[in-house]
Amino acid sequence: MKKFLFVTAAAALAMVGCSDSGASGGGEEFPQKNLEVVAPASPGGGWDLTARSVQKLLQDNDLVEENITVSNKPGGGGEVGWKYLQGQDAHTLAVNSSLVLTNELLGSSELTYEDFTPLATLATEWQSLAVAPDSEYQSLEDLMNQMKKDPSSINIGVGPALGNDDHLSLVQAAKEFGVDPKKLNFLVYEGGGDVVTALLGGHVDVVTTSLSEVKEQHLADKVNILAVSSSERLEELDDVPTYKEQGVDMEFPHWRGIMGPPDMTEEEIAFWDEKLGAMVETDQWNEVMENNDWSGFYKNSEETQQFMEEQHELYTTLVEESGMAK
Amino acid sequence: MDAFLEGLMTSLQPINIMWIVIGGFLGTVVGMLPGLGPATAVAVLIPVTFGMDPVSALILMAAIYYGAMYGGSRSSILLNTPGDGSAIAATFDGYPMAQKGLAGQAMALSAVASFIGGIMATAGFIILAKPLSEFALKFGPAEYFLLMLLTLSAIISLSTGRMVKGFIAMFIGLFLATIGVDTQSGVYRFTFGIPHLSEGLEFLIVIIGIYAVGEVLYNFMNIDDDHKKEKKKVGKIWFTKEQWDRSKWPILRNGPLGFIIGVLPGAGGSIASMLSYTTEKQLSKHPEEFGKGAPEGLAAPESSNNAASVGALIPLLTMGIPGSGTTAVMLGALIMLGIRPGPLLFENQPEMVWTLVNSMFVGNIALLIINILLVGLLVKILDTPAKVLYPIIIMLAFIGTYTLGYSTVDFFLLLVFGYFGLVLKILDFPIAPLILAVIVGGDMEQNFRMALTSSQGSASIFYGSPVAVGLIVLTALSLCYPLIIKAFKRRKQQTE
Repeated sequence: MKKFLFVTAAAALAMVGCSDSGASGGGEEFPQKNLEVVAPASPGGGWDLTARSVQKLLQDNDLVEENITVSNKPGGGGEVGWKYLQGQDAHTLAVNSSLVLTNELLGSSELTYEDFTPLATLATEWQSLAVAPDSEYQSLEDLMNQMKKDPSSINIGVGPALGNDDHLSLVQAAKEFGVDPKKLNFLVYEGGGDVVTALLGGHVDVVTTSLSEVKEQHLADKVNILAVSSSERLEELDDVPTYKEQGVDMEFPHWRGIMGPPDMTEEEIAFWDEKLGAMVETDQWNEVMENNDWSGFYKNSEETQQFMEEQHELYTTLVEESGMAK
Repeated sequence: MDAFLEGLMTSLQPINIMWIVIGGFLGTVVGMLPGLGPATAVAVLIPVTFGMDPVSALILMAAIYYGAMYGGSRSSILLNTPGDGSAIAATFDGYPMAQKGLAGQAMALSAVASFIGGIMATAGFIILAKPLSEFALKFGPAEYFLLMLLTLSAIISLSTGRMVKGFIAMFIGLFLATIGVDTQSGVYRFTFGIPHLSEGLEFLIVIIGIYAVGEVLYNFMNIDDDHKKEKKKVGKIWFTKEQWDRSKWPILRNGPLGFIIGVLPGAGGSIASMLSYTTEKQLSKHPEEFGKGAPEGLAAPESSNNAASVGALIPLLTMGIPGSGTTAVMLGALIMLGIRPGPLLFENQPEMVWTLVNSMFVGNIALLIINILLVGLLVKILDTPAKVLYPIIIMLAFIGTYTLGYSTVDFFLLLVFGYFGLVLKILDFPIAPLILAVIVGGDMEQNFRMALTSSQGSASIFYGSPVAVGLIVLTALSLCYPLIIKAFKRRKQQTE
């Protein structure tokens, strides 16, 4: 019996034990010790998979000699993990997304993108607007005209919370068409999967979600994607028009990036520019992107800095217009 | 049919049998340990599956998932500490059986019940996967709200004799479920500026705190009592013919019930096993024995929750929609492996689906054997002196809690709920209504609001579909059934 409990306890310990960063290495140059990538979410989600892919690719391709560990610090929509990052040195990085901007704008966090060092934008997903195949709205224009006429007549599925990219991309498009986004009828589901179920079951009229959630359904003719937020049509979905084609001047990426703690030296930033720049060139990275329906969106630290400033400006306006600004 | 046979052959390859056994055993172990559930186990294994053959990875993850359903009831029976939400119902009669010295029989019975439930559900998967996924789509916000209402009213009806306490416990649970950011309005409710609370309470922490920590604290209070020192009998390992006769119909009835509830995204094993338990209690000729060690009270929810875990794979595989925490993690892992579950999976990669289905037949047989063999070992837990056992339970509770959120904030929550559980036990409050309310409360509220949003505020949506009306009738029945029975008996007495 004792043996059994010991074994189970040991197994349990082993399961949690793999998230601590190790001891230091040698040398004067950066990096001097093992590296840590923070996924500010539980294992299994998008941020976790991004962090683990970065870890695996950097090590498998011998880009980084030091050990890299992934630590999961879920909570507060990234807040817990990023707060942790703030207190670390340059050996710790964290995965991020537009939440690093919107958390502050929505009033849920004091942290802003300026509290960190942007290192790279890695990839992006695209947003989509989808309806049932037999819907009376067969184009973005049909739908927007109805929204203009009676904003509350259309039930829109979104998840997991208002103020995310799914919501704000529609806010931006609606605004362009002269629809008041504050009057729209949003049904907030737990996540992208539930939103799609609701659409398939006819419980909502339209959903705004990541393209990957509805792509398979579209290919199987179970849903009809009205618009995609990329600048040009996507290869595997060449029957789906972009927002741009339909008169909305917007490209709306749902990007994923990586950032470091505040006050990194130029040398440290240059190190990551080189390594991450090489990583996104590998075949394996292409495979990761393909499996996840991501598109290449790499920007180095300097470009990311500029991109973040532009994004911050855009999101400030969108959150304002959505009526959720705090 | 060819794809089916091909799948059978693939799942019988030695390497895949090995993954099934490893997954099943691992699932049993994590299911047993409070807090460590299948979702954690699958998530931790994701980096391992990176290098695996996708089919093997899928088999392994599924085996962990239903293996945990077998394991979950072990600690419910032995320690009154469910390993997961779906094992709560096993404490109702499983633990009383163990206290009567029938622990071995209880575990053997629950393993057989799980096995039959699993096999029935797998067969159901083969025949009904497609039509059932269509049926599940009919469940809109109103129907989900009513299903959850039915579950809560059913569980309240269990608290015979202490109805008021049952209601109080449920309302405390519903209150706890409101903690966190409200997704519809963005308002922070009862988070006290702690970012960790903004996503709400992890219900497993409430379970571990109230059951595991609370149970240990309660027993510590009585540790010097003389009657506790007498050695508990373990009893025979195999169940008797009488126990089997009482259990066989409940097992056969509740397998399909659990399977159908499992297919509904978001419902899952907790709701399935609770509804099975209450159904059996109401159908039973000896409802007074429920809660005191009735074998069918253990067998029914065990059959049901295992069937539900198989059912939950249907929306995942046919529509790419995860119906539970574990299947959500599985979806993430499958995408990393380049498999995109969805409507095209059955057409593009049928051999993969049929391999999985066949592996579930093999896996349930393996798990039956594993769990029967483990009975002899596990009953020794009852012989373990308290001074050894309780520190181990506490340690496991803390480890399990840490894996849920990777945060020490949860330790405080664990202790708070531990003491809270102690108080509830001393005051003799039923715990299940509270826990179930915590599990379904958030969804219930959100579905209620979504239903009203989509109907522009009209309440007619709650009786606008046949499914909704059916659920309302069942809810009314579950509340009034005890009264009807009483009236019926009185009448019978008068006529006699």
